[in-house]
Amino acid sequence: MNGAIGTFLQIMKSLSLLIIAMFLVSCDHGLAPPPSVEPGFGGTLYFEKGTWPSPDSLNSLWLFASQVYPLDSVKVVQGLISNPPTIYLYPASDKSLPFNVDSVSYSFSPPVATYKYVGVIQRFANDINVHSLRVVGVYATNDTPPLPIPVIVNEGVFTPGISFRVNFYKPPPQPF
Amino acid sequence: MKALTINIALCLVWCSALVCQPAHGTLKGSIKDAETGQAVVGANVTLQGTFLGAATDANGKFSIARVPVGSYALTVSMIGYERIRLDGVKSVADEATTLDIQIHSSPIQSEPVIVTANRREQSFQEVPVSVATVSAKMIADRNNVTLDDALRYVPGVNMMSDQVNIRGSTGYNRGVGSRVLVLLDGLPYITGDTGEINWETIPMFEVERIEIVKGAGSALYGSSALGGVINVITRETPAQPEFRFRAFSGLYDKPQYPEWQWTTKPRFNSGVIGSYAGGTGSLKYLVSVGRTVDESFRENDTYQRWSLFAKAKYDLSSSQSLTIAGNYLYRTHGNFFWWNSLQEPLRPAESQRNGLVTSDRGNISVAYKEFVSDKLFYTVKGIYFGNFWRDDSSGRVNNVSTSHLFSVDAQATYDMNSSHTLTFGFASNYDRVEANLFGTHPGVGAAVYAQDEMGVTGELKLTAGLRFDWERVSVLKATAQLNPKVGLVYMPDKETSIRASFGSGFRYPAIGELYIESSTNVSAVAVLPNPDLKVESSLSYEVGINRSIGSMIVVDVAAFRNDFKDLIEPSVQIKQYRPNPSSTYEVEGPVIQFDNVTKAMIEGVEADVRVEWWKKWFSTEIGYTYTWPWDVGDNVILKFRPRHILYAGGLLSWNRVRASVDFRFLSRIERIDENLVRLAPIVDGDARVAIKIVDVRASYDLIDLGYPLRIGFNINNLLNYSYVELLGNLGPVRTYYLTVEGLF
Repeated sequence: MNGAIGTFLQIMKSLSLLIIAMFLVSCDHGLAPPPSVEPGFGGTLYFEKGTWPSPDSLNSLWLFASQVYPLDSVKVVQGLISNPPTIYLYPASDKSLPFNVDSVSYSFSPPVATYKYVGVIQRFANDINVHSLRVVGVYATNDTPPLPIPVIVNEGVFTPGISFRVNFYKPPPQPF
Repeated sequence: MKALTINIALCLVWCSALVCQPAHGTLKGSIKDAETGQAVVGANVTLQGTFLGAATDANGKFSIARVPVGSYALTVSMIGYERIRLDGVKSVADEATTLDIQIHSSPIQSEPVIVTANRREQSFQEVPVSVATVSAKMIADRNNVTLDDALRYVPGVNMMSDQVNIRGSTGYNRGVGSRVLVLLDGLPYITGDTGEINWETIPMFEVERIEIVKGAGSALYGSSALGGVINVITRETPAQPEFRFRAFSGLYDKPQYPEWQWTTKPRFNSGVIGSYAGGTGSLKYLVSVGRTVDESFRENDTYQRWSLFAKAKYDLSSSQSLTIAGNYLYRTHGNFFWWNSLQEPLRPAESQRNGLVTSDRGNISVAYKEFVSDKLFYTVKGIYFGNFWRDDSSGRVNNVSTSHLFSVDAQATYDMNSSHTLTFGFASNYDRVEANLFGTHPGVGAAVYAQDEMGVTGELKLTAGLRFDWERVSVLKATAQLNPKVGLVYMPDKETSIRASFGSGFRYPAIGELYIESSTNVSAVAVLPNPDLKVESSLSYEVGINRSIGSMIVVDVAAFRNDFKDLIEPSVQIKQYRPNPSSTYEVEGPVIQFDNVTKAMIEGVEADVRVEWWKKWFSTEIGYTYTWPWDVGDNVILKFRPRHILYAGGLLSWNRVRASVDFRFLSRIERIDENLVRLAPIVDGDARVAIKIVDVRASYDLIDLGYPLRIGFNINNLLNYSYVELLGNLGPVRTYYLTVEGLF
C-alpha cells in the first residue's frame, strides 16, 4: 500500500512539474498588437558624388510619391493640385531636400494608398511648370530600363528600406 | 403436367442445395489476460484467409458460427496486447470447437496492426519505417472534427493551417500540391485540380484509425508520397445494429488583447452527427449524417457544413466480400486569406470581407476482396472523387472549378512460404479538370508495383519493392518514374526492433500548379501558369530502434535524411507579363508563379517515449523531432520549416473518468518568403512566434447511472496563446467545448 501511494505521489509530482513547465513556457502570450506607428515609408537617398548640378539650375529637390503611373504633363499638374492630390512631395512643396550631400535619410508619411511611382524630382526654376521639372532618381528594379517598384502604405505600418540612388548625370527615363 | 414438372424441378434444386451445402462447425472460447487471468473485452478474433471473426463480449467470450470444415490460422489482436496466431485450428462438422486462449499484455498502447507501410497487415514492430497511429478513441477524446485537427498531436507532424508537413517536407503553398499522400481506405484522396488534401470530407466520426507513415512512399503508392503517407481507415460495419451520435458546442473566448476584439457577440462552433448501423445476414451497412456550424472567432471565416457518409459490406461467401462506400459534403465558407494587420488580426484584409466559397465534394468507392486460400488474397478497388467549388464576392461569381478523379487499384498478396511474402499490383487513374482558373485539362496515369518481404533469418527481415509510374497531363509530354524501396528489420529479442529503410518519392505537378492563371481579386498579385514544371522527387533514408523497457516504457528513436530535388514552390517577384492571354501588351507588377526552385536536404532525429504508470491508469508521451531543413541551392535554411517540434501529453483513465492534457511546441519559423509579405501585401505578415499550445479535457461515462452516454469538457488553447501557423492568420483563441456521445 505504501509503495502504491509512493508511486502515485511520484506521478503527481512529475505531472505537476510537467504542467508548471508548460505554463512557464507559454505564459508570454505570444503575438501582441504592435505599438501604434504613423503609416508611411522611409529609407536613404544616395547622391552620386560629383554629379550635383550647378546652383543656378537647382531650385528645389523633392522626394515624390505618385499613385498614378505612367505620368504625363497633365497628370502631373492634376496630381499636385487635385483634392485630394495623387502626388505627394517630401519634405513639403515649399521646402526642399538638402543640396550637395552624399546621402539623406527620410521618413515620409503620405496617406494610406499604393504609390506606383516613387522618386526624386529636381526643379530648375521658380515656377510650377512641368518643363522646369525632371526626375533624377526612381525606386526601381535593376532592369534596363529600370521599372518603378510600387510602395504600399498601409494603416499602422511604416515600411523602411525604400532606398535608392540619384545620379544627376544619368537620370532615369522621363515620364513626361 | 407442366405444374408437376416445375414442382419436381424446384424440389431437385432444393435437394441439391441441401446436398451441396458445405459442412460447418463453430469455433468458440474465451480470451484471458495471461498475467491477471481476467477476461479481455473487445479482442478481435479472426480466421486468416476468411472474413469470419468475432469480438469478445463483456465476459471475454467469443463465438464464430458457420465456419466451413477445415483447418485455419486463428489470430487474436487487441490494443495493449501482443498479437498472437494459432495455426491448425480445426472446424469440425456440426460440432463446436472450444478454445481458451491467454494473451500477454504489451507495453505499447498502439494499434496492434499496421496496414499502410507494406500494403498488408503487420505488427508495429515488423515495419521498417517510422509509423504513428491515431485511434478513434483519441479522436473522440479531443473532439477532432476534421482530420487536420487530429494530426496536430502526432510527433514529427505539423500543420500550417490546412497544409500537412511531415518531417519538414512541405513549405508554404496553401495546401496546393500536397507532398503528403492521403489515402481513404487505401485509395488516393487528393483533389484532381489543385492536388491538395480535402480534410473536411474525411468522415471523422466513422474513422477506425489513422496511420501516418513518415518518409517517402512512392514505391508503393506513387505520386505525392514524397514526405509520407496518411491512410484513413474507416471502421468496419459492426456485427450488431447500433445507433451512435456525437453532439458538441464550443464557445470562443475573447482574444488576448481587447483591441483585437471585433465583435461583442459570443461566437460558437457547434455540430451534431448521428450514425446508424444495421443489416441482415451477409449484408451490413452504416449511414451517418452530420451538420456543423462554425461562427468562427474571426470575421468572414464562418462555415456551415452538411455531411453524409454511407458504407455497405456484403459477404458473398466466407472468403469473398464486396464493400461500397461513399460520402458527400456541402459547405459554405467565408474567405479569410490573411488578416488586415496585427492591429486587427481577427478581421480579414479589406478585399476579402465579402468573399464566400461554396463547395460540393463527394466520392464513391467499391472494393472487392477475395481470399483464394489462406496464403493468397487479392483486392480490386475503385474510387471516384468529385470536387466542385466556386467563390463569390459581393454576390459575384469569381472562380469556378470542377474536377473528377477516377482511381483503380488491384493488388494481390501471396504468402509464398515462411520466407517470402509477395505483394504486387496495378494502379491507374484518370482525372479531368474544368475551371476558369486552370482551364480544361485531362490527366491519365498507370502504374505497376511489386514487393517481396523476405525472412533472411528468424530475426532479420528484408523488404524490397519497386514501382513504375507513367503519367500524362493534358497536352504535355508523358513522363515515367521508377521508384525503389528497401527496408530491414532486425528483432534480436521480443522487446527490441531495429529498422533501416531507403525509399524514393515523387510528385507530378498538379494541374493547378501547371495552368493557374488569374489576376486574382485577393491581392494585387497576378498568378501565372508554368507548363514547364518538372516532376519533384525525393530520397529518404532512415534508421531507428524501438525498445520496450520493462512493462511500462517504450522508447522509439529514429534518425532520418531526406533529399529533395526540383521542389515546386510559389515564387513571388516583379515581372513583366500579359494581363490576360489575349493581350498584345505587357504590364509589370508582382507575380506569383509555381516553379522548380529548390533543391533541399532535411536531416533530423526523432524520439518518442511512452510511459504507463500505476497499473496503466496514467500514461504519458513525449515526442520530439529536430530537423535541419537546408536549401542546398541557395545555401540557407529552407523557408517555412520549424526546426524543433515537441509534443507532450498525459492521460488519466480511471474507472469512468478520462482526463488528459496535451502540449504542443513548434519553434519559430526562421525564414519566410519576404517577397510574398511585401508584394501580396500581407500587412505584418512577417509577425510570428514559437507555437506553445496547451489543451486540456475530461470526460465521464454515465453508463453506471443507466445512460449509455459520455459527456466531456475540453478547453483548447487553455492559455489563450496568440500565434500564427500560416502567414497573417492568427490561430484559434481559447475555446470551451461541451460534448455528448451516445451509443444505443
